[in-house]
Amino acid sequence: MTMITQFRPFLNLQSYADRQENLVENNEYVLNMRQVYIDSKRRKNILSIENFTVRPGELVAVLGPNGAGKSTLLRTINLLQPYRGQMQLFGHNISDANKTWLRRRSALVFQETLLLNDTVFNNVAKVLEFRGTPAHKIKQKVHHALATVGCEHLANRSARSLSGGEAKRVCIACGLVTDTELLLLDEPSASLDVGIRIQIIEKIRQWAQAKGTAVILVSHNFTDILHFAQRAIALFDGCIVQDDQLETLIRRPANQQIARLVGMDNIISCQLQPNKHGYLIKLANSIEFSYFGEVKTPITACCLSGDAFYIDDASYSIPYQSGMVTIEGRVERIVRGIGTHTIRVKVGEETLTARVPRSDISDNVYHNAMIKLAFNPKDAHFV
Amino acid sequence: MNTIVEGAIRAFELLTSGDRDVFQVTVLTLVVSGIATVISLLLGIPLGLWLALEDFAGKQVLISLVNFGMGLPPVVMGLVVSLLLWRSGPLGSLNLMYTPTAMILTQAAIAFPIVVGFSFAAIVSLNPNLRLRLLSMGATPWQVNWLLIKEARLGLVAAVIAGFGRVISEVGASMMVGGNIKGQTRVLTTAIVMEVGKGNYDIAMAIAFILLMITYSVVVSLTILQQDKKLL
Repeated sequence: MTMITQFRPFLNLQSYADRQENLVENNEYVLNMRQVYIDSKRRKNILSIENFTVRPGELVAVLGPNGAGKSTLLRTINLLQPYRGQMQLFGHNISDANKTWLRRRSALVFQETLLLNDTVFNNVAKVLEFRGTPAHKIKQKVHHALATVGCEHLANRSARSLSGGEAKRVCIACGLVTDTELLLLDEPSASLDVGIRIQIIEKIRQWAQAKGTAVILVSHNFTDILHFAQRAIALFDGCIVQDDQLETLIRRPANQQIARLVGMDNIISCQLQPNKHGYLIKLANSIEFSYFGEVKTPITACCLSGDAFYIDDASYSIPYQSGMVTIEGRVERIVRGIGTHTIRVKVGEETLTARVPRSDISDNVYHNAMIKLAFNPKDAHFV
Repeated sequence: MNTIVEGAIRAFELLTSGDRDVFQVTVLTLVVSGIATVISLLLGIPLGLWLALEDFAGKQVLISLVNFGMGLPPVVMGLVVSLLLWRSGPLGSLNLMYTPTAMILTQAAIAFPIVVGFSFAAIVSLNPNLRLRLLSMGATPWQVNWLLIKEARLGLVAAVIAGFGRVISEVGASMMVGGNIKGQTRVLTTAIVMEVGKGNYDIAMAIAFILLMITYSVVVSLTILQQDKKLL
């Protein structure tokens, strides 16, 4: 496994500041999509975007199941896919502008590793050659981009001889070699080693922040998204179902589909009964508790993140919070992780998943032991 | 067996003695088939590229016609070109009948569908997303086309080999539109037919050896080009 040992700072903050000012003055958004639709003879609503905007420097993640239209969305933004509707890139109406010129202001890293049958250096240099970059600058920029993804030593290798992970990193270097204003990443960490994956994602994030580049990241890997994005959109059947801060999307998903997509640990069927203080929540496993917050009815399920649970154990005192709900169940399984253990607890007919710090687990927590879990109703979210 | 051996010896003698007639016929063969192949490449590769990359109504019909053309008997193409170039034909005023130009046009028409078919297959076998990626990298459509041709060079050299091999070995059409006139339109294949007609089997064999050597030399050169690791 090749480790990236050196991070090269991304120069020129002055030019970034100038560009930011220029962009904000002239164009509020680098991307503005209004009622953009894609249909085919075989399938309707491949993409159906009512409104989607990205500001300069924003880091946006796109989540969605297979076939939701994530890659199609990136290709549409990169003007590789015919569509109906209105779209502006860098403040220019697509219908009025030269598509090649607009594409040269953005970069798309494809899910597939598509490299020309040439050396690694020439593959990356091609991006600059298309833009008419002088030859003396090409060498410097290509080596810098390859160094960023830890591939400088591969410059003279044939692209055909690269491993899957190396080829992927070279493709990422192709995306980073220009001063692009909008970077589109389609599964950039696929086929990368676990060890290098986070480093690459972090380097792309630092690069984007230093350059003031807006990035739209499509990834199935939730860890990538957590490390990368500030904002996330959830795409289902070509439609944006939720567009929020990443934290909100994870903790407060708009529906059960998104809750499953973001890996919500516990999605429990529930019923809601208004009472004099708020609502009485009845979960499928006979747990009842009062909830005093606002609930947008109708609801069908209660979402509880695994880290919302505490172990109510004599040997460990849980932080005092008023109105804590305590439930009892039998430990089915303990999955020991780094820092956090995952405990699956059978409560009534349901199995709940709790993720608790390793230090909170005493000798009283073992397979088939009866334990008490506590959670604050404020951490519950209803969909 | 004797005829083959005698033919080989005679071919060696003809080549080493610098026979003027044989030299002239050999050069004309190379010029006619070479130019015809180049014309078919200049027209066929862009059409193959277009067929591979564009979607349009009737594409399947056009592809089936190209595939049909790849197996078209050369003598039929010779007949069609003859009817066009004949004095009373639509292009009769050009006075091209029985000229090397007529032979070049006919051979180019024979090689054209072969080049289109091979080019189409070579381009279509590339990853369809490669074109999108090149566009995405900021290439103009012309730059994309040129890079795709370079990527498909292995298959395109096969198109050159197939096209050239077909026209240099063709006899019926060349005879029909060229007339096998000594010093003007006689090529190696028509010379072989004539010598066989005259009963000169040894000379026919000798010319056949020359034809085979030329064809093999060209094909070997193209194969080396095709398999060159530096180019691949």
